[in-house]
Amino acid sequence: MKQQVGTIVGSSVHLTGAIKDASDIQIFGSVEGEVSSDQKIIIEESAYVKGPINASEVIVSGRVNGTINAKERIELNPTGSIKGNVDTQNLLIHSGATFIGKSVMPEKNAEGDSGKDFDFEKEVETETEEEVDLEKEKEEQDK
Amino acid sequence: MYYYIFENPKTPTQRTFFEKLRDIAREFGIAGEITQASPARSPEELTKMALEKNFNTIVAIGNDLHVNRVAAEIVRQNTQFQVALGIISTDPESMLYERWGFKKPEDACETLKFRKLERFDVGLVEPDHYFLTSVKIECKRPSRISLEVDHWKADAVVDRVEISGNLYILLERFYREQSTLKQAMGWLVGKSNVSADRSVFKGKMIRISSSEPQSVLIDTQEITKTPISIYRKPNALNIITRRDRIIKDLHS
Repeated sequence: MKQQVGTIVGSSVHLTGAIKDASDIQIFGSVEGEVSSDQKIIIEESAYVKGPINASEVIVSGRVNGTINAKERIELNPTGSIKGNVDTQNLLIHSGATFIGKSVMPEKNAEGDSGKDFDFEKEVETETEEEVDLEKEKEEQDK
Repeated sequence: MYYYIFENPKTPTQRTFFEKLRDIAREFGIAGEITQASPARSPEELTKMALEKNFNTIVAIGNDLHVNRVAAEIVRQNTQFQVALGIISTDPESMLYERWGFKKPEDACETLKFRKLERFDVGLVEPDHYFLTSVKIECKRPSRISLEVDHWKADAVVDRVEISGNLYILLERFYREQSTLKQAMGWLVGKSNVSADRSVFKGKMIRISSSEPQSVLIDTQEITKTPISIYRKPNALNIITRRDRIIKDLHS
């Protein structure tokens, strides 16, 4: 048998428990439990994963029910679906994909404005037409 | 001192190769005791005899099954002194040939003379079946098997299971093209009508059970039936490997 690098879960396999690999993991079948890799995890279209996923990069084309923690990036393809929270630096969601959950991204601490928080709730003061008319009347009376 | 265990030659070509190898070994100064396995003397018996005579280099010459039987006996005997295994694989289609196959007997003798040793893992099928190559389960029809590996369990329908000595697990399920038209098209364009669904895992301890007992083979020899437990014995064998080749400077 020629040795292949990484783990492959075939479409006829149902796996329960925690799988861990230093190299890539590719899933075509179903997995119930934690999936961890130091490199890439690929969830193919026919795959279903129920449990947390931890890797450097995660590509989802199948269904995931659980949290995903990817150090570098998560890509959700059009056929993919994630039900759970994601934590990553780069999140790419293609049109047609389903994502139900919360996304957490680390704040960028780079120099410049990019690091500054923007307060969306701060009210912007605007003057109505009536207020403008009243001000004009006051000015005329003063004269 | 070298102790040579030849496989019983199956073809005249193989017999000639073996004779040539004996002569060249003498020329290289690595001649030793020469034995040949036969129905009367198994490779295991010959290995045991070599170890009793305190030979520290045993050379197995033959196909995977022959080499495996010699290797397994060395591990099983667990001698006090360090034993090196030399391998000369004679089957170009085999797993060992890639690493220990030699086109010329001179190359084989040079490797044996240089005696560069590397430690290798071997697999153990309980109770005492050691293997250097792989263990196979070949089902006559798709069968449901259960795997228990380290921290996980898996159920799968498979046609074939193969586990190597360092416990890489390969599960295969074959699908034949049902449509006659597509079969014909595949035949015309030289495309195979059989596709395979493969799973690859790694483990340290494996337990395999199946819905119905399946034969477990080491090479072509049936050793037991499922359920089985397989372990890895790390660094169990010292094997003589090829010398590293110095790559010539591209500009020279």
